[in-house]
Amino acid sequence: MIAGWGPRSLARHPLRTALSLAGIAVASAMLLDMVMLSGGLERSFADLMLTRGFQIRVTPAGTLPFDAEATIAGAGTLRAALRGDPRIAAAGAVLGASVFARRGDSVVTLFAYGVEPDAQGIYEVETGHDLAPGDTAGLLLSDPAAAVLHAAAGDRVTLAARLDPGTAGAGGERTFTVRGTVRWLYDYRGQRSIGLPLRTLQAMTGRAAEDRVSLLMVKVRNGADPDAVARSFRGRFPRVAANSVTDLVAAFRVRMLYFRQLAGILGTVSLLVTVLLVTTLLTITVNERLGEIVTLRAIGVSRAHVVRQVMAEGLALTLLGAALGTALGLATARYLDTILTSFPGLPAAFSFFVPRPDAIALAAAALLVTGTLAGLYPAWRAAGAPIAATLRAEAT
Amino acid sequence: MSVAVAAEVTRDYSMSGGVVHALRGVSLAIEPGEYVAIAGPSGSGKSTLLQLLGGIDLPTSGHVEILGTRLDSLGDRALTRLRLLRLGFIFQRFHLLPVLTALENVELPMAEAGVPRDERRERARSLLDYVGLLDRAAHRPVQLSGGEMQRVAIARALANRPALILADEPTGELDAATGAGILALFRRLTADGSTLVVVTHDERLAAEAGRVVHMLDGRVRG
Repeated sequence: MIAGWGPRSLARHPLRTALSLAGIAVASAMLLDMVMLSGGLERSFADLMLTRGFQIRVTPAGTLPFDAEATIAGAGTLRAALRGDPRIAAAGAVLGASVFARRGDSVVTLFAYGVEPDAQGIYEVETGHDLAPGDTAGLLLSDPAAAVLHAAAGDRVTLAARLDPGTAGAGGERTFTVRGTVRWLYDYRGQRSIGLPLRTLQAMTGRAAEDRVSLLMVKVRNGADPDAVARSFRGRFPRVAANSVTDLVAAFRVRMLYFRQLAGILGTVSLLVTVLLVTTLLTITVNERLGEIVTLRAIGVSRAHVVRQVMAEGLALTLLGAALGTALGLATARYLDTILTSFPGLPAAFSFFVPRPDAIALAAAALLVTGTLAGLYPAWRAAGAPIAATLRAEAT
Repeated sequence: MSVAVAAEVTRDYSMSGGVVHALRGVSLAIEPGEYVAIAGPSGSGKSTLLQLLGGIDLPTSGHVEILGTRLDSLGDRALTRLRLLRLGFIFQRFHLLPVLTALENVELPMAEAGVPRDERRERARSLLDYVGLLDRAAHRPVQLSGGEMQRVAIARALANRPALILADEPTGELDAATGAGILALFRRLTADGSTLVVVTHDERLAAEAGRVVHMLDGRVRG
């Protein structure tokens, strides 16, 4: 009621207050987006890596999965060693390669995953069913691949592992039956991906003899430490890289350092803008109301009361601006995410801006603290104004 | 005991053109129940004297006492508290808070003094009734006339039952008819035993006073 005369003063100049609120909302939105960006990349990366619970990746030393043509030879030996470890619950290999399919008189390039359906961490079945054990002619399609091939579960598709320059067609063709459509977890948006049994793809691409794969994915048993398992595996097999998701996130963090620095700088700028907006508005309104305020002081209202009211005014302004800014920030984050994740090579499931409660709480707390502190100068000015001199100036 | 005493007070202001001697050794005592008018031309020091009596300014030399307490012995917090509980102020330009209703404006000093909500609301309503504005309790200042705003300011000044009411040109912003209403209200305050010091140019207001203190060039003339 009476205690709210400070915040209620914001209604005296609705347009000015609305413009200030808009400014604070924009700054708050930017702060929220930057907080989400700074932590969201890592969180999203980790979540993506752990989607199906595989905590360790074994890859060719010095490369990232599917980053190059590099492969690991003797996958069976590695798989057997992994599966023989009592700490490990599942281990499966994946091979990545380009294959080709006919569509009318043209050839379509597809990305093929050779998979072991009983231990795979890279797809989820959406329609139809998964490849069965021993199925050597089954085929899984992503939605974009199904669309480009005009194929659905039960249809037959002919694939080749190489292009024949002589006939401008595909060579070494084999025909498969589509078992279902799947969502490939690490595909970029619109990627035309298919899945074949690992041994089949190895045979088609000439990698069966050396049993080559692009990576192995490992899931440890409950209670086992993935970092320790990865460490011990690195010691046993120095020719490959074995990394837990924790290791990969750490490496990712180093790579994404500039993103975090950018987010930190822009977040700080948005906080400064908020401080300047709140301080400027409050200083102007306090100056305009100095006569009223010193009158309150004259009739016995304490300095502390005046300080509290002016700071409450700043807090109210910041709270309203932060509420608007949260909605605006979430909307802009979603929009920016759509743009950024459409870059080629980025998994579509990856997010740059992850709306986490702790990120929102952090942004809100930072705003409220700075917004309240921004009221300090005008509050000090209001409470410290000389009563007699100000009343004399008001009277003339 | 006098309600207020000014003993040989002087007040100098440093201005860009030199020192201005607003008060040059003024002594005055206000007794309980008195209605004192301070009159004089502009620049004679009457408003400055009122500010010193009200503890919103301190003299350059001499001292002021309110109910036996020397104001120069009090820190800012104690002085503020004394103004809140012992003094009531009425200003020429009313200075009501525009975001509060008439009732809330009257409640404000009581809220600051820690009066419980129900009690202060009841008293604020009875004070608005006293000044004839109970039906305007829910109105904001912008919805009131000048005379009505001054009545609300008078009710606010009475909120904490002050020992001394200080009014600085209370009819200065009002037309003659409205000023007459304020005059009647002051008459009633005096009849009810309030102690009143009014700085005024208004001869009618001064004529109502039990004592008129004439000032000229920072001194009391008689």
